[in-house]
Formats: sequence, C-alpha cells, structure tokens
Amino acid sequence: MNRRRFIKVVGFCSLFMHSWLRELFAAPGSTVAVARGADHAETTRKAIAALGGMQRFVKPGQTVVVKPNIGWDRAPAYAATTNPTVVRTVVEECLKAGAKKVKVFDRTCNDPRRCYASSGIEAALKGMKGVEVKHPEEERYKTVTVNGKALKEFEIYGEALTADVYINVPVAKHHGLSRLTLGMKNVMGILGGNRGAIHKNLDQALADVNSVFKSHLTIIDATRILTDHGPQGGDLRDVRVLNQIIASTDIVAADAYATTLFGLKPSDIAVTRTAYQRGLGEMNLDKIKIVKV
Amino acid sequence: MKKFSPARLSQLFFLTLFLVLFLMTEYRGSDRIVAAVNGFFRANPLTAASTMLAAREYIPFLLPGLLMLVLALFLGRFFCGWICPLGTVLDLVTVKIRKLGPIMALQGNLKYWLLFPLLGASLFQVNLAGLLDPIALLLRALTFFFHPLLGETVRGSWRSLYGMVGDRRDMLDPGYHLLRDYLLPFRETLYPLAFLSALLFFLILFLERYERRTWCRRLCPLGTLLGLVSRFGLLRRVPAKLCSDCQACRELCPTSFDQELLQTEACILCMECALKCPSQRARFSFRFRKKHRLNQGQMLERRVLLGGLLSGLVIAKTFRFRDPEQQSLLLRPPGVRNEGEFLEKCVRCGECMKVCLRSALYPALTQAGMEGIYTPILVPRLGYCEYNCTLCGQVCPTGAIPDLAAAAKQREVIGKAVVDKNHCIPFAKRTDCIVCEEHCPIPQKAIRSEIVELLGFDGKVVRVKQPYVVDELCNGCGICENVCPLEGKAGIKVFAVKDRTPLKEPSATAPASDEDPYGGSSG
Repeated sequence: MNRRRFIKVVGFCSLFMHSWLRELFAAPGSTVAVARGADHAETTRKAIAALGGMQRFVKPGQTVVVKPNIGWDRAPAYAATTNPTVVRTVVEECLKAGAKKVKVFDRTCNDPRRCYASSGIEAALKGMKGVEVKHPEEERYKTVTVNGKALKEFEIYGEALTADVYINVPVAKHHGLSRLTLGMKNVMGILGGNRGAIHKNLDQALADVNSVFKSHLTIIDATRILTDHGPQGGDLRDVRVLNQIIASTDIVAADAYATTLFGLKPSDIAVTRTAYQRGLGEMNLDKIKIVKV
Repeated sequence: MKKFSPARLSQLFFLTLFLVLFLMTEYRGSDRIVAAVNGFFRANPLTAASTMLAAREYIPFLLPGLLMLVLALFLGRFFCGWICPLGTVLDLVTVKIRKLGPIMALQGNLKYWLLFPLLGASLFQVNLAGLLDPIALLLRALTFFFHPLLGETVRGSWRSLYGMVGDRRDMLDPGYHLLRDYLLPFRETLYPLAFLSALLFFLILFLERYERRTWCRRLCPLGTLLGLVSRFGLLRRVPAKLCSDCQACRELCPTSFDQELLQTEACILCMECALKCPSQRARFSFRFRKKHRLNQGQMLERRVLLGGLLSGLVIAKTFRFRDPEQQSLLLRPPGVRNEGEFLEKCVRCGECMKVCLRSALYPALTQAGMEGIYTPILVPRLGYCEYNCTLCGQVCPTGAIPDLAAAAKQREVIGKAVVDKNHCIPFAKRTDCIVCEEHCPIPQKAIRSEIVELLGFDGKVVRVKQPYVVDELCNGCGICENVCPLEGKAGIKVFAVKDRTPLKEPSATAPASDEDPYGGSSG
C-alpha cells in the first residue's frame, strides 16, 4: 500500500467510521475534577490538585490570564459573577507555581467600575503582588480571522492572546438564550466588537471562538449556581448553594459535567452539543474520567 | 515671592476646591459620593432665590444660599471677590489682557434686564437662573467641553502610543493610571451644547478686553442680586470718593472706581485699595448710622423692576411649545415624576450629566421645548440608567432629582420599553437574539420571551424566542435599547409615560440575610 492509497482509505473510512476516528484522535480520556466543600478556597485547591496541580499548567516566569465572570453589577451572593474567593485562590495557585504576572479582567455588561467593585473580585485581589486587575482598553483588541461556521473574523483581547496560560473561571448559571452559561460562553468576555450580534447564531459562533482560542484550564465555580433569570439574576430565591468546583483541561467536558448540576443533560445545551460535534471536546459523561475529591 | 492678599488666597482656595469637587463628582468605587460640587450651588443665592420662587416652597438644601444673601447685607459682594470661581478665573487671566475701555452698551441697567426677567420667570414656575448663573456657566463649560477635551487628548495620545510601542507601553502604566483614576473622565462622551457652553465661557473671557471683570459688574445676575442687597450693606469703604490728591484707587480697584464715587453695588470687597493705599487712608469699616450710608450709584428705577418682571412673564410663557414627537422620547432622570415640578427646581447646572455613571444624561437642546434647554434628558441609545446607581440624585443641588436609596430608585419609572417588531431581530429576521432580556436588570425580568414556531424565510420551521415587555415591571432604565445589537435604530425603545407611579415592591421578599457567605475572601 503506498502513501496515496493509505490516505484514500483513511479518508474513506472516516465517512463511515466517524466516531471511531474521533476517538482515535481525541485527547485520550478527558478528566474532570469535581471538588466539594464549604471552604471554597480549599475546595478550589483540591480541584486543581486533582488535575495534577497548577505547576502542570503554569511554569515559572510565565504570564497568566485568569478570566472570571465579572459581567454584572451584582453582589457575589446572587451567583451572577464568579465567587471572589475562588478567583483569589486560582490567582494564588498561579503565583505559587511561579507565574511572573497574573492578569484578571473581563469585558463587563454593566458599568465596569461597578461590576469590579460589586463582584468583590477587585477587593479580593487588592494588594497582591504580581497581579493586575484591569479594565480592557479598546486599542488592545486584535482582529483574528477564523472563517468559521458563524463568524468570519472577530476581535480578541490582545492580553489574552499574548498570555502564556489562559485560565477560564466562569460561574455556572442560567441563561435566557443558551439555557446555561458555562466555560464556553465565558470566553465571550475577551471578545471585542458587537458581541450582541453573536447571539444570532450563538452555538456555532462560540464553537468558532473556542476552536481558535483555547482555554488551557477551565475552572467552573459552582459554589452556588443561578438556576433562573440568568445571566444576571438578582433574586436570592434563584440561587442554590452547591459548594462545588469543577476543573478540567477539556472545556466541553467541564461544561458537560456542570450541566448535570442543573438537572439537564449535556446534549440539552446547544452550545455544548455543537462544540462536541465539532470536536472541541468530550461531552459524553461515560467517556469522561470524573475524579471526585 | 509675590505676596497674596487675603482675598486672593481665599479665591485660590475656593477655585481649587471647586476643581477638586468637580473631579470628585464621579463614581469612585463607592455607592455614595462623599462630596460633590453641588455645595457651590447650594450656597448660591441666585439658585436659592430663583428655585424657591419657582417652587413656591422653602427648600432646606438651599439654606446656605439664603444665608449667603443675608451675609451680603453685612459684607456686600464678598462672594464675588472671595469665593466665585469664575471671578477668580477672570482675575487670573485679566492681567494678560490689554484693555480697550468699557463698552457703552453694557453700562446702565442692562444687568437688571438680565436678573429680573430670570427671577420673573421663576414667579411663573420656570427656573431659568441657571442659564446665566456664573457657577453653572463655568461648570457646564468644564463638563461639556474642557473635561471631555482633556480626556480625549490624553487617552488619544495613550492609544497612539500603543500603536507605536505596543505592549512595551505597560511600563508607563502606573503614571497613566494615576492620571486616569484622578483626572480624566471615565469614558469619552460628546455632549450636545458643548459649543454653546464653551462659547459663553470664552465670551466672558473675551469681555475682559474692555475692562476688568466686565461680566461681573455689567452682566452677572448673581453679582447683580448680591449688589442689590449690598446697597444696604454695612461694611463700607471710607472714604467713599477718590481722594483728590492721590486717585490711586482708580487703578487699584478692579470693579468700582470708574467714577469719582465708589460704586457700592460693584465693590467685591477685594480690599486691594485698603492694602495698597499709599497714605493708608482707605479702609473698610462697619457703619450703622444712616447718614454715613450714602447711596451711591444709580438707583434702581421702578420701570426697570416692573419691566424686568414683566419680561419674565413673557419669557416663561412664550417658549413652552413642545414638539409631541420629541415629547414621546423625553426621558428624565430617575425619580422625576412630574415635568412641571422638575422645571421649577432644575437649575441646569449639569452635575447630573457630569456624574452619570453610564453617560446616559445629556443637556436638552429643544427636546423639552426651548424652556427646557440645558435640562437633563436620558438618551438610552447612548447610555442607560444603571440599576444600582443613585448618583444623579445625590449630586442634584436642588432636589429636582430626588436623592433616593437604591431600592427606591430601582422602582422609579423613567419610561416604558416597547418592542418594535419591524426591527427586532426575532420578529423581523426570525432568528434568535434576546440580548435585551439578558440585560434587563429587574430580578423577575421586565423583558421576557416566548418560544414561537415560525416558518423561516428558507421555508423551514424554526423555533425562535421572541421578546415581550411586562409593563408592570419595566422601569424604563433603557439598557435594552442601549444593548440592542441592531445598528442604528434599536428594536426596542423606551417611551416617555405620564404616569410615573413607582413599580410595586416585590411581593414575597427573599430570605433576608445580612451575612454574605460569598462576600470576598478576607485574607
């Protein structure tokens, strides 16, 4: 069999043995770490340790972007933004692993100053050495061409592109359009331009973005989740305390597991389903190695 | 080193205070503003007089202004020479300007023809004093022109620096952050009426070509009001005339010695004459006996008073026409429930527009009729009313915008949102969007959506979420219109409503807990 023939056979096979090939080329066995505990700092550390510790992702001297959800002007109890304790712990772990600089930012929906203050994240990180909590500056957005299914090109925040490590720290919550907003959607916080327009074809657009821009680590804050009236909430009756942290290098797997916290199946969420179909990660829970700590 | 007179020191102090307070009239990480520039308006006798006349009630906020008026009985126009920031600006620049001599047209009664119509209009419930109030003029020039200009210039250079050196610019961050955090406006905002505001300010400066403090002695309605009161003033300069052997006062005095006799109404108590009198004859002392109280300067004629007040009536009643189309979009700041009451109290100082967190408030040009020029209106497409923010009410000097707690403000109705099905994407394009629902800050959501099965334009059945507005919950904050991803005209729009009864309090209260288990880590 010569090389040309081999390629033909493989190409032909892929038509019929689609899933078999995917398994062959997919990252062998996505792992999702699920940690529980009312001490949220400790729980976050356990989840990271279960994946091999932060030193697996952050090497000494590197620049890290930690991207929480700071989108709304809500107090932490409303579960509209990432738990500040979780954010602080992730940042601490990065510094312990030797990160030179940790940058924390989000493009907010409400007034950025109010969001940074109300979410408690600015205060939680105040005075930490080597940590920058900053508002995005419009000149730093870079246009990236993707030729994806929904988007031809979009703007990504320069500091996220140039960082050595990108850690995605969303909060698990309800969303009016996509039902849930988790890791995949949290990446919208580094997009520039008219983000509202992305909603027209949200699942394909998010798959486009996440296929170009990879989160090295996704840590989903489910210490408390917003079950209704998301993504902004505002009523404590919609909040459920779960005391869980979910971490994975596979953003789809992390999202898939987090979906179950809301009593839903991963395939119920179009964003997760589309990402899986486009090969961005694993969503079948029985194929994911779930490490509970 | 140059020695400053006490008056000059006081002037510099108050100008600095004014500028510092101006910069403090901004969100700085706390829900309450510690101090704002509104103090200058509350201590402003013109604001106090016109607002209380218009509202026909005593307004406690403005007590300092009344006290200032009483104080003028004893001390004359000391406000003009010791406090007024605009006067200080004039004093600082005037030394660089060569004088051409007074303009005849500005002499005489013109100043009364400015003051009395303003106060006359107040009697008919239109508060116009702010249009020509010196503090308001200065503040509006700063807010609408100078501050945005500064922001644009500095930020523009900062941006172009990034274009040149890229990420290496980060090394300069600390210096820039200092500027950004304390000096610059948070975002670039372009204001309508910026030109007029700057023009009036420069015009006042321009008048310094003719004589010192032309504005203050010939036009300023606040100065004129204080001057009227100071006729009865007890603190007098003696001698009241130029001394025949010296006449140095003619040069020293900035305002009052254009004639032989000191013009009490124009004297701003700067005390230059007393400080620099070659023979130490000039001094200021209290005079209680009548015979010493020479009434100098021209007397106010009755016809000027009556004519002025009558023109107030004409002004108050002739600029009331309002275009109904513009009325339907006339949105006032949160807490303003009645347009008439608002016009009585709003002094058009521009503070609410300066402080507005989302740059949602702009000065009206004709939207509120000519009578409403410079009053604040909310333009949702440019900025929305932030749900948890109460800053405009906090800084309003007269209470035209009430100072409400966040929970109360959130229920105040600015207007009501209406979906425009011809534009709204799920209706017009039959694809999903729902960005408005996502952003609606009301916990129970005033914008909701229903899933509708439609035949898409390609003939396939599609399920689309279509938004609708729950009127009972909508407070008209305008975030929906602001974030609507359509370019140009939004698919949802806030319209003014007459009945601005606050929304009902949420029926069942959420479990009250002071303890916030997620309130940030403590160590």
